Amino acid sequence: MYGGDEVSAIVIDLGYHTCKAGYAGEDAPKAVFPSVVGCIDQMDADDDKENNDSETNNSNADSNKPKGKRKLYVGSQALGFRRDHMEVVSPLKDGVVVDWDIVDNIWDHAFKDCLLIDPKEHPMLLAEPSSNTQLQREKTAELMFEKYKVPALFLAKNAVLTSFASGRATSVVIDSGGGSTTVAPVHDGYVLQKAVSSSPIGGEFLTDCLMKSLERKGIVIKPRYSFKRKEIQPGVFQTVDVDLPLTTESYKLYSQRVIASDIKECVCRAPDAPYDESSYSNIPMTPYELPDGQTIEIGADRFKIPDILFNPSLAQTIPGVDNFAEISPARGLPQMVIESINRCDVDIRKELFGSILLAGGTASMQQLKERLEKDLLEESPQAARVKVLASGNATERRFSVWIGGSILASLGSFQQMWFSKSEYEEHGASYIQRKCP
Amino acid sequence: MEAAVVDAGSKILKAGLAIPDQAPSLIIPTQMKRMLEDQDGFSADNSMSEDVTVDPVVRGCVKDWDAMEDLLHHVLYTGLEWEVGNEGQILFTEPLCTPKAVREQLVQLLFETFNVSGFYASEQAVLSLYAVGRISGCTVDIGHGKIDIAAVLEGAVQHIASRRFEVGGSDLTKLLAQELGKSNPMVNLGISDAEKLKEQFACCAEDEVAYDKMLRTSETEEHTLPDGQVIRIGREKYTVGEALFQPSILGLEAHGIVEQLVRSVATVSSENQKQLLENTVLCGGTTSMTGFESRFQKEASLCSSAIRPCLVKPPEYMPENLELYSAWVGGAILAKVVFPQNQHVTKADYDETGPSIVHRKCF
Repeated sequence: MYGGDEVSAIVIDLGYHTCKAGYAGEDAPKAVFPSVVGCIDQMDADDDKENNDSETNNSNADSNKPKGKRKLYVGSQALGFRRDHMEVVSPLKDGVVVDWDIVDNIWDHAFKDCLLIDPKEHPMLLAEPSSNTQLQREKTAELMFEKYKVPALFLAKNAVLTSFASGRATSVVIDSGGGSTTVAPVHDGYVLQKAVSSSPIGGEFLTDCLMKSLERKGIVIKPRYSFKRKEIQPGVFQTVDVDLPLTTESYKLYSQRVIASDIKECVCRAPDAPYDESSYSNIPMTPYELPDGQTIEIGADRFKIPDILFNPSLAQTIPGVDNFAEISPARGLPQMVIESINRCDVDIRKELFGSILLAGGTASMQQLKERLEKDLLEESPQAARVKVLASGNATERRFSVWIGGSILASLGSFQQMWFSKSEYEEHGASYIQRKCP
Repeated sequence: MEAAVVDAGSKILKAGLAIPDQAPSLIIPTQMKRMLEDQDGFSADNSMSEDVTVDPVVRGCVKDWDAMEDLLHHVLYTGLEWEVGNEGQILFTEPLCTPKAVREQLVQLLFETFNVSGFYASEQAVLSLYAVGRISGCTVDIGHGKIDIAAVLEGAVQHIASRRFEVGGSDLTKLLAQELGKSNPMVNLGISDAEKLKEQFACCAEDEVAYDKMLRTSETEEHTLPDGQVIRIGREKYTVGEALFQPSILGLEAHGIVEQLVRSVATVSSENQKQLLENTVLCGGTTSMTGFESRFQKEASLCSSAIRPCLVKPPEYMPENLELYSAWVGGAILAKVVFPQNQHVTKADYDETGPSIVHRKCF
């Protein structure tokens, strides 16, 4: 049993899009950086070198060398700098960690470079997806205890933490993040697993749709590294394209996505009524200035893109959007909520309808709360009083999982619930199932 | 009695009583020499002793607490003329992302060893903005040990949009020594001499094109070092300034200062971006390099962003060379507000709760 001291815990939330880390008890994470990493596979870099060098010391061994050697670049600074052959790799696939080495590097970066702490001295609270498998949890515990030697660990589900952040023990949490949207009902601090539903439509999918839609209109988003401004005469500037042929496709896509998601955050709003081509064809266009100085006008897309959350089949109408087969069985957000609540016990349904929480980066879209409330009022049973809650501050919505973790880890009554190092050594990683329900 | 304000940098420590709109009364080097005759005393001046230097503050953070204690002893009792038994209140500045443990240790040191009556700590970025009369904006703090780019909104540092680089004036000095060593192979150059040469000669070219031109011309100056050797300095002085805008010269894979500023501010929501970039403040010793400010503005007009950073002019009533100690001046302004209103950590608070009180009272 680890009885917490004065030393404060560290809360880490590794999401699909960003990783948030910071001290418990604070109101915002100190370290926020992308959860994708740049990766240079040594083989590619060596191949180029071999062609240029006339002598190679171990030319025989090189051809048999396994793919083990690669250099990872973590963090917004390292990722922001364009390097030859650098691929952008994500450790998560469909919400499940597939590459533990990358996760290891991400945690290392958060501890050593961003927070400047020694993990041996701080208990760790990690946020995990609401439907995490036993194997993933055991691997997390193993990595934390064996490599970082943390004194204590706790894994809490995202939905539970969001619920705590708003001060409720029972609610339906809609977590709309970068990679997916998950609807999970929480009752008395426990997630009702049978009623959790998720859809692959998340912030990144919306960004991709926006990018394809703009491409179709002939607007090319130039990544930041691909142009330079020159002053040809005093006061007169010209943008010149820089050709960098060794940049990988994934890096180019990543840089374009960063700009496109900024466009999305600036101009997109959820429409008040379901999107309809004809009614939105005449709205005034909003201007947006791209980093290279080009000004683009966005019209109907402002409302069409957010409406994909409510009506996924709209994505079909955008030419060039692939992965269509994956999203076609997806339901819109209001349907997912109703379905989720209907899978719970009849007694708590009323309470659940009355506290629907919005969390996640995509949920900070303007007017989303109002539109969701309206749609739910139409679809829900008559007797239910529907109330959708979302904190007014956009930063709070984006970090609500982290904030919930910060609150939880600083509660006095939580200190006895930690999964301590001695318990790990005594019972093994599988004990985590018992300690962290 | 006035509160004392202390800004301990990696190279220079600025201290003084909190009299606003004035330069700090004590500006001394942080580096100390270890005196080996006395058992455990450290001397803060360059008196005759062994040539073993101790740096209590490394890259902005306090690393050697014993040395720090001795340094503070000298500063508070000798420099600011505090009396033992009648210690006043003290305000400390700290760099970005100071770990909680370091803060707690500092508080502990001050209350237990020095017995101060009140304490407050604040981040250097916020204070530098106060010195120019703003509560929101960006600071680019280029110090001896680190570069901090911070975005502050309404007095609160936005950590999402702030970055720190472990590069600073000390790395530029090493670069200068290296370059001079290449062009003057006969001369034996020490680091402290290189430091003085850097302060005297280093400058920034107008832009990249002008820099390339400078590299090709070889007009050199001759300079006599204190030990009599003669050294020729030509294009090396431009290389030092250029390294801030093209870090590849230092061997780092990163963008220049202005590009980094623009990119880190881009992560904040766009309503605030304009407010942040249009109130950019340069501070730190290295920014007083000749030609730095105009080069910064030139790069700002060429950077990859719709909103261009604009530098803020310090108010006329502020002393000259404000960038060398803007965090200190901001601290003096803050001290006038915080201590009279009892928002600081008092001795009674510390005795009751312990060092962790600092996290609750000082943001």
